[in-house]
Amino acid sequence: MIPEQVALTELERDALTEIVNIGVSRAASSLRKMIGEQVLLSVPSIEVVSHRRAARLISEREVAELIAVRQDFRGPFSGRALLIFPETNSLELVRAVTGGELSAEEVVEMEHEALAETGNVILNSCLATMANMLKRSLTMTIPEVLRGNGATLFEVDESGAEEGLVLFLYIDFAVRMRDIRGYIAMLMDIPSLATLKELLDEFIASVVGDDA
Amino acid sequence: MSVTVMIVDDSKLARIVASKALAQLQPEWSKVEAGSAREALEVIENETVDVSLIDFNMSETDGLELAAELRAMRPEMPIAIITANIQDEIIARAREVGAAFIAKPVTSDGLSGFLSGAALKLRTTRA
Amino acid sequence: MARAAGSALNDEQLRAVLAAAGASGSWDWDIAGERLFLDASFAELYGLPTDQIRDGFPTATFFRSIHPEDRPRIRIAVAGMLAGASLFSKEFRVVTPAGKVLWMHGRGQCHLDADDEPLRFTGLLVDVTERKRTEERLRIAQSAGGVGTFEYNDGFATVSVSTEFCVLLGLHPADRLPLRTINSVVSEGELALIPEGVQGALPDTLAGEFLIRRGDDGELRWIARRGEVQYEADGTGYRLLGVIYDVTNAKRQEATLRELAETLEQRVAAEVAERQHAEEALRQAQKMEAVGQLTGGIAHDFNNLLTIIIGSIDMASRRVAPSADPRVRRSLEQAMKGAERAAALTHRLLAFSRRQPLDPRAVNVRDLLEGMSDLLSRTITEAIAIAIDANSGVWMIEADPHQLENAILNLAVNARDAMPEGGSLRITARNAVHSGTGGDMPAGDYVAIEVVDNGVGMDEATLAKVFDPFFTTKDVGKGTGLGLSMVYGFAKQSGGGIDIASEPGSGTRVVLHLPRGDASAVEDQAYHPAAEDFGRPSETILVVEDDDDVRRYAVGALCDLGYRVLEAADGFAALDLLRGRDRPVDLLVTDVVMPRMSGSELAQSAHEIVPGLGVLYTSGYPHDAIMHEGRLGEGVELLSKPFTMQALAAKVRELLDR
Repeated sequence: MIPEQVALTELERDALTEIVNIGVSRAASSLRKMIGEQVLLSVPSIEVVSHRRAARLISEREVAELIAVRQDFRGPFSGRALLIFPETNSLELVRAVTGGELSAEEVVEMEHEALAETGNVILNSCLATMANMLKRSLTMTIPEVLRGNGATLFEVDESGAEEGLVLFLYIDFAVRMRDIRGYIAMLMDIPSLATLKELLDEFIASVVGDDA
Repeated sequence: MSVTVMIVDDSKLARIVASKALAQLQPEWSKVEAGSAREALEVIENETVDVSLIDFNMSETDGLELAAELRAMRPEMPIAIITANIQDEIIARAREVGAAFIAKPVTSDGLSGFLSGAALKLRTTRA
Repeated sequence: MARAAGSALNDEQLRAVLAAAGASGSWDWDIAGERLFLDASFAELYGLPTDQIRDGFPTATFFRSIHPEDRPRIRIAVAGMLAGASLFSKEFRVVTPAGKVLWMHGRGQCHLDADDEPLRFTGLLVDVTERKRTEERLRIAQSAGGVGTFEYNDGFATVSVSTEFCVLLGLHPADRLPLRTINSVVSEGELALIPEGVQGALPDTLAGEFLIRRGDDGELRWIARRGEVQYEADGTGYRLLGVIYDVTNAKRQEATLRELAETLEQRVAAEVAERQHAEEALRQAQKMEAVGQLTGGIAHDFNNLLTIIIGSIDMASRRVAPSADPRVRRSLEQAMKGAERAAALTHRLLAFSRRQPLDPRAVNVRDLLEGMSDLLSRTITEAIAIAIDANSGVWMIEADPHQLENAILNLAVNARDAMPEGGSLRITARNAVHSGTGGDMPAGDYVAIEVVDNGVGMDEATLAKVFDPFFTTKDVGKGTGLGLSMVYGFAKQSGGGIDIASEPGSGTRVVLHLPRGDASAVEDQAYHPAAEDFGRPSETILVVEDDDDVRRYAVGALCDLGYRVLEAADGFAALDLLRGRDRPVDLLVTDVVMPRMSGSELAQSAHEIVPGLGVLYTSGYPHDAIMHEGRLGEGVELLSKPFTMQALAAKVRELLDR
């Protein structure tokens, strides 16, 4: 079912998990600095799934409408990174990052822009760290704020055709003191996966050396 | 000694955060804000700007391009590139245009090194 | 660690504390200085010289005693930590200098500077060898016992689950499942399987049962949940730790038991009613049986008397001189008619008592009904429209065709009498398959012959008695009250049954069920009235009859027919005659019920002397000896008493010519 060239070995999967971990740790650290509260992270989940299933995995997680900050990246491997949380969490997050210095009206007024900036900081630090670990550089687009369900966020064409496989990666995060939760998700298409696999092998070789 | 800092970022939130950190470290300094590279160039035409804090990730002209232009106009001005994009490549490019690199989110800790260096440099050039 | 904590506790104290906590060693990796500091336990575990502890070790030492299979994985994880990943939590094997393999859980964290640059990587090794074994046992117990586990950190959108957990809920196996995916299998109106509520609303335990619809096959199942809510020490949140397992079977049994308990009274009442019904049926059957025996007994005696009467009248009629007073002849004719009516009546009595000998053959019901249409239209008045309906697909049955005709005619006559003002009579035949429940007929294929009228009908009280012999709704003198009871007896004796439904004013429907016959059985072509045949002197017939009058009549009749006749008053005399004859006996005509030796015993012994000897039984009361389930045995012919000369002549001829 999964083409040979993108099936990750156990070690490659370990390596990818670790690299994502570093990126996400960095992102969590950024978020912590922005809101001054402890941020809890889960172990990253990595799956190779169809585009459609990725969208459904996100949809299934939430009853409420979602809000997401999306940033596409391009380079040796390309894809899309999303910071997703229930829409009901949105204002609380904005309040948290603006540090209580804004009035309620200002919070509402700044919501969109504040979300974009928060997503920018989190996704950038995550992606940049991963790029550094793999010793490659990535170009990142300006963050976009989206609202909708899983399908709209992943731009899944409901009428079909979107059956291509993607690498789907997600990490839960929660800020308990603020009752904020969400996740970081990443999608990569197949040609990118093949390149990523090579880069992971390079990384493993450099780290593991003779033990591999 | 009056010092004016220009903060260039398309995010109002980011400008607020940077201003806050600046106010903590150098309460005497004044600041001027710009929401894009174009606005930044207008500001620098009309006002005296001593130090620039520039966001990298902006639409149209990015922070590194703006920094290069400002460097050409003001070879001595302390400039810092602020971004969450902490890729080695971006840091290297910032260095090439003679700009410091400050990671987002901006904290007073992260900013202090650059500001004290800038203050020192301004004192020497003005002296 | 040892260095960092040195001011508060000395190394020895710290080591004691850590050892008490189950720690097998701690480390402090100086990332910038590229030096690894270990405590004495760690050094001991790895077999490192303890005098080097203060100066530290090369960082690569960390991997030295890790099992080669686990080493690459741990190198990757450590690389992540050195690059700034926040948490290290890995299990791996350590091979001690003595060669012992221990499972270790290494838990560590990265300390960053203000610029998020990693400074130090510190952590603790805990020996989990014992726990690993326990886990293995637990894993086996879980899969064997069908127990799925889950762990949920409040705030996360996904839940960490075991494979068995996914299987129980019919979900795609995964390590983590979205909260919503899990809760979506719970039926509407039920609480969430994994509660997501605010802290205050959480119960102390997770005990509960949930009706779910499995994700894969959509089956409804009951799932039990047990577990604990563990609050974080700092009060910021909680974790849910628990198990689920399937309790559908237990639930079903519980429900069955409850239902049993709730409906006990009702079931007792139903049981009692059913028993009463059965007792009622038994009483009815016993009554019918008793009446049957009584009438059968009477009929038997009657038949013997009638045989003498009819025989004597027959004989007298033959011998009366043509010149005799014609009044004598007329009187004899009247006497014969009366005797024949009496014989018909006793025959019906026998039919009811189910002792009527049946001669079942393969019968095509459709042909039989068609053949009856003439007779029916003559019997039924013109004011009644008769419709006969049987398609060619109706199965063959095995029954006595005479008796079946009689039964149908009986029912038709009853129907006619129920419609004095005219109406319609419908006789149909169709195939019917009985499941064997809700009736007294065994499961199987039947042909249902329905006789339906739209006459006056009957009330319930009348219906309950219609099969009783001598019960009649007709005026005195108009009916014998034996019609329906005879039909009932015939149906029972043929292995079938009879249903009757009626309501006052809306007619009556009688359904006669007769078992399907062997389709291959050839329809008996021989069913047609036999012509009288005469005998030849070369044909010898032995007549055995204990009743002298009856024997005299039979012998006389056979002699008249031209046969050579021998006679015996009992079986022993008959056997003597058979043995003594130099000329063979061609046919044995014997009574069934005789003292000392019965007819069938005689037939058996006779066959030993003369193999293949033809046997004709005469009886007014066929005994079980020649009856097999109410039917005549193979190769046995029976002549019912009383018999006429014609009937005797035909049967004897038939047997001799066979």
